[in-house]
Amino acid sequence: MNKPLLGLLAILTIALAVFAGLSVNTDGIDVGSTTIKTASFAEALFTPVQAATDKRVNTRKQPTGKATGKQQTATAPALAHPKGWRAPMDTTSKTILFIGDSMLEGLGPRLAAYAKHNGHTLVNVIWYSSTTEVWGRTTKLKEFINQHKPNYIFVCLGANELFVSDIKKKRQRYLDNMLSQIGNIPYVWIGPPNWKPDTGINDMLQESCADGSFFLSNGQHFDRAKDGAHPTRTSAAAWCDRVCKWVMTTGAHPIKLNVPKEAKARCRTIVLQPAK
Amino acid sequence: MNLNYDLTTLWHNVLAQLSYTPGEPLMFSSGLFWVLAILFLPLYALLKRRRTQMMLFVVAFSLFFFYKSSGWYFLLLVTTALIDWWLARQIHGTESTRKRKMLLITSLVLSAGTLLAFKYTNFALSNLYALVGSNFQPLDIVLPIGISFYTFRTISYVVDVYKGKLTPTDSFLDYLFFLSFFPCLVAGPIVRATEFMPQLRENKPASREMVYGGLWMFLIGVLKKAVVADYIAQYVNIAYGNPTGYSGVELLMAILGYTMQIYCDFSGYSDMAIGLGSVMGFDLGVNFDLPYRSRSVTEFWRRWHMSLSFWLRDYIYIPLGGNRKGKFRQYCNLMATMLIGGLWHGAAWTFIFWGAGHGAALCLHKALLPGLKKIPDTAVIKFLAWLITFVVVSLLWVFFRADSFTTAWQVISGTVTRFDPAYFPVFASVRSTWCIMMALTFALHFVPKRVMEDLKNIFIDSFWIFKLIIFIAVVQLVIHFSAADVQPFIYAQF
Repeated sequence: MNKPLLGLLAILTIALAVFAGLSVNTDGIDVGSTTIKTASFAEALFTPVQAATDKRVNTRKQPTGKATGKQQTATAPALAHPKGWRAPMDTTSKTILFIGDSMLEGLGPRLAAYAKHNGHTLVNVIWYSSTTEVWGRTTKLKEFINQHKPNYIFVCLGANELFVSDIKKKRQRYLDNMLSQIGNIPYVWIGPPNWKPDTGINDMLQESCADGSFFLSNGQHFDRAKDGAHPTRTSAAAWCDRVCKWVMTTGAHPIKLNVPKEAKARCRTIVLQPAK
Repeated sequence: MNLNYDLTTLWHNVLAQLSYTPGEPLMFSSGLFWVLAILFLPLYALLKRRRTQMMLFVVAFSLFFFYKSSGWYFLLLVTTALIDWWLARQIHGTESTRKRKMLLITSLVLSAGTLLAFKYTNFALSNLYALVGSNFQPLDIVLPIGISFYTFRTISYVVDVYKGKLTPTDSFLDYLFFLSFFPCLVAGPIVRATEFMPQLRENKPASREMVYGGLWMFLIGVLKKAVVADYIAQYVNIAYGNPTGYSGVELLMAILGYTMQIYCDFSGYSDMAIGLGSVMGFDLGVNFDLPYRSRSVTEFWRRWHMSLSFWLRDYIYIPLGGNRKGKFRQYCNLMATMLIGGLWHGAAWTFIFWGAGHGAALCLHKALLPGLKKIPDTAVIKFLAWLITFVVVSLLWVFFRADSFTTAWQVISGTVTRFDPAYFPVFASVRSTWCIMMALTFALHFVPKRVMEDLKNIFIDSFWIFKLIIFIAVVQLVIHFSAADVQPFIYAQF
């Protein structure tokens, strides 16, 4: 073999060994305050194809974080329930945490009206421009859960990820992290209101969320605001109505969400600035 | 994430990686290709002197490469190669002009017909159904990756043989090697047999300059494609996904972003292919020559995807009559060539419009050329010429990128009607990395070629360890930026 080719081969082999070795740290290597991302060789070779599904089952069986006794009692029937299983209607008052992106501007006030009418307490957390990655990279969700001790969670995320290519590769781990932060608390993930076909976010959410916990918004009619993406306030309220009806009639964890007389209400709202 | 180091999983995943997965072609910048290159190169080098064995090995690897990208359609490539190799030999061995012409037409109909069937059936049917006002369910046709490229290469081979410019090879293996050569298989360059076959016959081992120069080209290509283009694309995709939701400044940046993205994407992949060819001892030529330096659309097409534009010139424009049959006919020929060029890029009316736009711009330039030559070539005039060319090319890219005329119009009209320069600083602060990347890529366009050539030579002559460090740095950049995302909606801040 000629010498330059041998040299090139050595470069390729040594560099591969370095990156393959480092890739064992799938979450990256922390150097001071920064994290150096690693290649995905180890992940690609040793992650079983069904890992994501398995992990979700494990998550349900082994609640993470310091869940309260009340939460565990409330969610006990949800453990490894068969497909199509629904809990009986829970008519008790709930503390609801609603997190998500700018779509909460429209959904939040209407859900607040539902909460007020049905005796629930609602906390809205709007993180502008956020994505599953933005939330999944942090423990913010867990912090809000610890702070407000919700026993029901609504999430509306995905509108900023409609056109992310190779989405499972890029976002699945963050979504899984979010779901593990939610742990055993009953939740409803409201899918993004597509204005164009997405590149897989809805499929990923549908596959990852527990049975009866994902509300598919894609395909529904929305009157759009001037920006062409966000539903108008009226349309967002109608969207929220559909979600609440779905929770009561189809969702895995139905709670009392009767239609309120008021169109909207106020509730505690925390606003987080866009992440850079 | 905790990984379970289970050998069964490892074996299962290795097999899965080597199997055909629809929608996941084998990319030069992927980890899998890297591993395969480590396995391929020593065997290639060992077999290099034994020409037949080397060719069998490379053909097998190329067909696997094609299989990994397009599944069993690699057999289509083999069939095309076999038919055109045989037809070219028949053309060469036949005296009768009429028979030669018939054989040529047979080859063209088969090659172009296959391409048309795979690429344009749904487009044709959807237009037909639209004309009769009926709903159309697209047929489930999978487009084999690279079919547009290898079809053009096989056409050029048969036409060159027909014209007597090339003696056809007696060896089918030679021809299959040429047509399936994996560096050029997926996205070009459209290397011609007249340039490639002599190199194959000579079978020279790659020199130090070729190996490390090839590595340099490959790394430049990786930076362009996997770092710059893919990163810039994220914002461009978001903006083009919802143009009505963005300000004029943001849309302008999306237009400029796509202009840079498509260059880095196309030329990056070409650079990788040319680099790989060089490592294997083949000179695949130059495919992009800093096209955004151009001061006319004519010059742009001499610098942009040169193997394609020269192919269009030699096999469509000139056979149509070129500039030999009067001005009017020349303009018609230019329009026809660019329309075909547009349609070749994709089966949609937006691509045809893009081609027509370039055709019109070329005609206009040709028509104005006598007058333009009289204008003194001052710095201001040069700058204006560059600016006009850049604006025209960038605007036409909007139609190339947009999924419909509505989107294209929303992007262009939104840029004009919602333009407010006050958005520039906000945009720059929120998407600083994106802006820096754009500015650097743009600036690199104007770095003298000599400087780039010097850098390449420094790399070639550098210590081995330096090359290793550069290689690792480039890979780490790819990893970093492949997971980094551009922030989507920031409208709330304005």
